[in-house]
Parts: sequence; structure tokens; C-alpha cells
Amino acid sequence: MKSYILTRIGLSIPMILIILTIVFFVLRVLPGNPVLAMLGPKAPPSVVKAMEHQMGLDKPILVQYVDYLKNIAKGDFGHSTVTGMPVLKELMQKFPATLELTIFSMVVAVFIGIFYGTIAAYKLGSPIDISARIYSIFVYSFPVFWFGLMLQLIFGVWLHWLPVSGESSPFMTPDPIHTGIYILDAIINGQWDVLKDSLEHLILPSLTLGIVISSIFVRMVRANVVLTLSQQFVVAARARGVKEKTVLFKHALKNALPPILTIMGLQFALLLGGAVLTEVTFSWPGIGSYLVNRIHSRDFAAIQGTIVFFAIFVAIISILVDVINAWINPRVRY
Amino acid sequence: MELLNIRNLSIEYKTKSGTVKAVEDVTFEVGEHESLGVVGESGCGKSTLGVAILRLLPPNATTKGEIIFNGKNLLSLTNEEMRRMRGKEIAMIFQDPMTSLNPIMRVRDHFFELFKVHEPSMKKEQMIKLASEALESVGTDPKRLDNYPFEFSGGMRQRVMIAIAIALKPKLLIADEPTTALDVVVQEQIMQVLKNLMKTKNMSLILITHDMGIVSELAEKVTVMYAGNLVEHGEIKEIYNEPKHPYTKMLLESIPNIKLDDMELKYIPGSPPDLKNPPKGCKYYPRCPYTKEICKTKEPKTVKLGDRKVKCHLYSGG
Repeated sequence: MKSYILTRIGLSIPMILIILTIVFFVLRVLPGNPVLAMLGPKAPPSVVKAMEHQMGLDKPILVQYVDYLKNIAKGDFGHSTVTGMPVLKELMQKFPATLELTIFSMVVAVFIGIFYGTIAAYKLGSPIDISARIYSIFVYSFPVFWFGLMLQLIFGVWLHWLPVSGESSPFMTPDPIHTGIYILDAIINGQWDVLKDSLEHLILPSLTLGIVISSIFVRMVRANVVLTLSQQFVVAARARGVKEKTVLFKHALKNALPPILTIMGLQFALLLGGAVLTEVTFSWPGIGSYLVNRIHSRDFAAIQGTIVFFAIFVAIISILVDVINAWINPRVRY
Repeated sequence: MELLNIRNLSIEYKTKSGTVKAVEDVTFEVGEHESLGVVGESGCGKSTLGVAILRLLPPNATTKGEIIFNGKNLLSLTNEEMRRMRGKEIAMIFQDPMTSLNPIMRVRDHFFELFKVHEPSMKKEQMIKLASEALESVGTDPKRLDNYPFEFSGGMRQRVMIAIAIALKPKLLIADEPTTALDVVVQEQIMQVLKNLMKTKNMSLILITHDMGIVSELAEKVTVMYAGNLVEHGEIKEIYNEPKHPYTKMLLESIPNIKLDDMELKYIPGSPPDLKNPPKGCKYYPRCPYTKEICKTKEPKTVKLGDRKVKCHLYSGG
């Protein structure tokens, strides 16, 4: 198992390198000069030259490339051209909010996906199964921002049950901040009113994302569990007197998990980037909102940093998924 | 006393294209410590019969009649009562050992699951002891408890399946084509394992197979099925020496015999009828060399000839 994990980590190093390379060269060939974006179109050429020299943009492209790799290896993602702050520091400030939203959305999506999908597979052809199929097609076709707006309209504007924007109400942030994830910080500090406020703010955005993604999961889980339920070892387990619930969840679902987990892992990684729409709809102060802002202001260092950050995160998630799969399925491990 | 009494058992599958009569009015019994072979071609309802005893048929199947096991009618038990019988009183092994074990569970956990379901208070040492004994009784090293199914060959997996099935000393073991998916050498080994078990354990066996040779090795009695009907039932030696039903005769003649110079393989011409739309009268008449007019219109009654039961107009005085 240990050697498997090590190999898997080793294998993702070239993958990250390739992503870094692509990000670097794509941003270099894109139209738009970062220096002009910073200084404005009317900046005198001498100032532009000086700035280019300061940023190392006058060096040969391969030297720039090697410098860039060296810096990232050191954890230096460059400085934002808008705020002058280190990009990594800014990202780390925004990241907890995005992580919080992503995790809760995944919880919603996985919960709906596993239970609805498994029960639909078990009751194949029944009204529950048909409803599951309609649900996944219907919900999959929801645009995220539209669905978010609808939830805001119903639960915020009409019913006044839940807040429609932001991560917390004014003066309701946890103090002190440990992790940046408000829910966790509120629990650590024992500030229960803050916890309640944070949860209320979290419900609508995570439901929006979670429900939309659950549509894929319901279908995936259903299809895979239908497959495992038809296998001989399921009948054999029943013939040993194993309870139906155990047959369904321990034998059928667990054997169906590896492909489902792979998709879930990819979705989790995609969510970090896909949360952009949700974050903007709900004014959620995460990386998605950050990225949109910086694209508007042509902050190349910040854009590059965010993409690299996502890429590394995706790599880490896919290592985790593989390790979990290996843990479930002995054949992968041996 | 008989351990298992099957009385007038009929099973139908409802499908989109019609109702399939998989088993029709079948009656037989299995005594304690007795082994019964159920033989017939593919699709004659023999596997359905085995699965029906455990009440594990798919939901589109309807079962009529009585399956009396140890004095209790299994068909009138609640689902929960029936579940407790499975694996403890009646166990079953299946045709394909490659897929009968859960691929992500160690062999040990298959045993432990069985023990926990039926004997929740059993201690871990006791579980390991029982599992090791069961593996030893089928000639497998108990050290292999920690292995996963994919680390075993097909024959070894079938041994493991048998070991799990007999671990709680069931009164009845149903073996559905236990050797069909295995090569001949391994087939013979598995048959030896089953023979030994029959000698040492107080257990009855229903051996479902299409292979007359295998039945003759192991079974004391045999039930021949054709198109969902029991066509002949009796002591194995009598049936071998003097088959009554034309189908049994032809089935026995189709066993290849290398002692004969004339090595032409015999077979039964034609194929079994469509069970959605079976022929009127005797189901076998389209393939039967002795067909009379009455066979085409009237279904024969089952008649008793001594210990033997035959369902054929040749013997029903017609």
C-alpha cells in the first residue's frame, strides 16, 4: 500500500509539470501586455521598459520559464499587479471560503447521489426509479446561476428564511480566525450564534451547487449498482442469509464504488473552479469571485497563480481518489 | 422422516412477451442424509427449482405448491424467517465460482459475515476455528483465510464456496451445477470433496446438473426434468439399468462411451419446447420416437412403478 501511494505521488509530478508548462506558455501567447495593463496605455516607453526589466519580461522566454518553475517550487506564485501582495497569500485567504462551499456542496451531492441512486437501482423499474431518472435529466439541465437565483427568490425574498449573499452577517465573523473556514472556527471558539449565522449563509449556495451536481451522481450510482446487483456474488450473499440492507450497501454499493469515486473526485476538483458562478451569484468571498475580479483587472500574476493552484489541487485530489480506490479494491493495491 | 417434501410445485415467470411455465406440478422428496440428482437440459427448470427452495427467485416469478422442509412450509414463512434459514439450515453453491465470491472481501470476511448473521454472539476465536475447520474439510489450507478471491483458482474458489456453505452445518446443501465451469480434472476433485462431505457430515444434497455422469457418481436418487416437468424419478441404479421414460433413455444413450468401437456421438434430435407456448399433451412428444396419438392431445399422468415415478403414456395404461 505504501509503495502504491509513493508511486502514485511520483507519477503526478510530471503531470503537474506539464500543467505548469501549458499555463506558462498559454498566458505568454495570449494577447494583452501585462505591463501595459498595469501602467495604462499612455505610459511612456522608458517606464514600460523599466517595468519589463523589473518583472524579468525582457529575458529570453526559456530563462523566464525556468525562473517561473523555480519560483513555484519555492512557493512563490508572484505578486499581484493590482494589490502588490503575494498571490499565494491572497489565494490562501480566499481558499477556505471556497473549500467550505465545495465540501458542503459535495456532502449534499454525495448524500443525494448515493441514497437516491442506490434505492433507484434496488427498485429497478419502480416509480422511485423512474423519478430518479427524471430528476437527473431535469436537474442536470439547470444552469447553476439560474437555479441559485431561484433559490434566492424563494427562500430569501419570498419566505425570508435564509440570507441570500455573503459568507456571514456583519459582525458575525468568528474571532479569532484559525482555519478561515467559518463553521470550523465558530465551533473551535464555541461561538454558537456565529456558527448558526454561518450555516444559514452556507445553505443556499451549497444546495445550489450540490443539487445540480447530484444529478450526475444519481445516474452514476444507479447504473453501477444495477450492474453489481445482477452479479452472482449478490445472489450468493443472499443465499447465506445476509440481510437485504447489507447486501445492498456492503456488497452491491461497495463494489460499485470505484468508478463512482473517480467521478466524484473529478467533480470535487471541478467544483473548485466551477464554483465561480455560484460564488458570484451568492457574493461568496472565495477563489471564484477572486478570479473573476482579477480577470477584469488583467492581473496576470493572480490569474496564473490561481490556475496553478487549481491544477495542484486537482492533482492532490486525484491522488486521494486513487488511494481510496486502492483501499477499497485489493486488486488495485497488489 | 423426509427432510424436504416438494408438493405440486409450479413456478411461472411473467415476462413482457408472455408467461413462462418454468416448473410445472413437480412433486418429490429428499430424505435425511440422502443425495438427489436433478438432471435435464438447459432451460428445463432445474436451476429455478433450486433457487425456489431458498425463495430467491426474481420478483417476476410466482410460486405455487408447497416446499416442506423439516416440517415447515417454506412458502408460508415470513421473509425474515426465511432469511434465517438460508445459510444455516439450507445452503447453496452456484455454477460460476469465479463470480460467486465478493471480489473485495477476504475469504475470512465471507465466513465472518455468515457467522455474524446467524450466531451474533459467536466469539472471534470460535469464528476462526469454525472457518478453518470448514476449509480443511474441503482440502484447503486454513492459512488462506486472509486471501482475497482473486488469489484463488476456479477450483479453489469452488472449494471455498463449499466450505462457506457447510460452515454452519446445514441440513441441506443445494449444489447448482457445481462443476460445470471447471475443467475435468478439477471437476473430479470437487466431486471427491462433495463425496467426502456426504460421508462425514449429516447432510442431504440436491445436485443440479446436466451431466448424467456426475449424478451417477454422487447421487442415490435422481429426478429427470424436461421442460419444467418431472418425467422420471427413482433410485439411480434402477434408472441407469432400466430407464423407463423415452427422454431418460435418450439422455443416458447420449453419454459418450469410449469402450464402444462405434464412437459416433448420440444426441437427442430437436430442441426443448418454448415454455411460453408449450405443445399440448406431453411436452416431449415432438422429439419422442414412441409418439402415439394420445401424446399429442392429453398430458400424461405421473404413475408409480414400484419406487419409481414416470410421466409417460407408455406406462399410464393408455
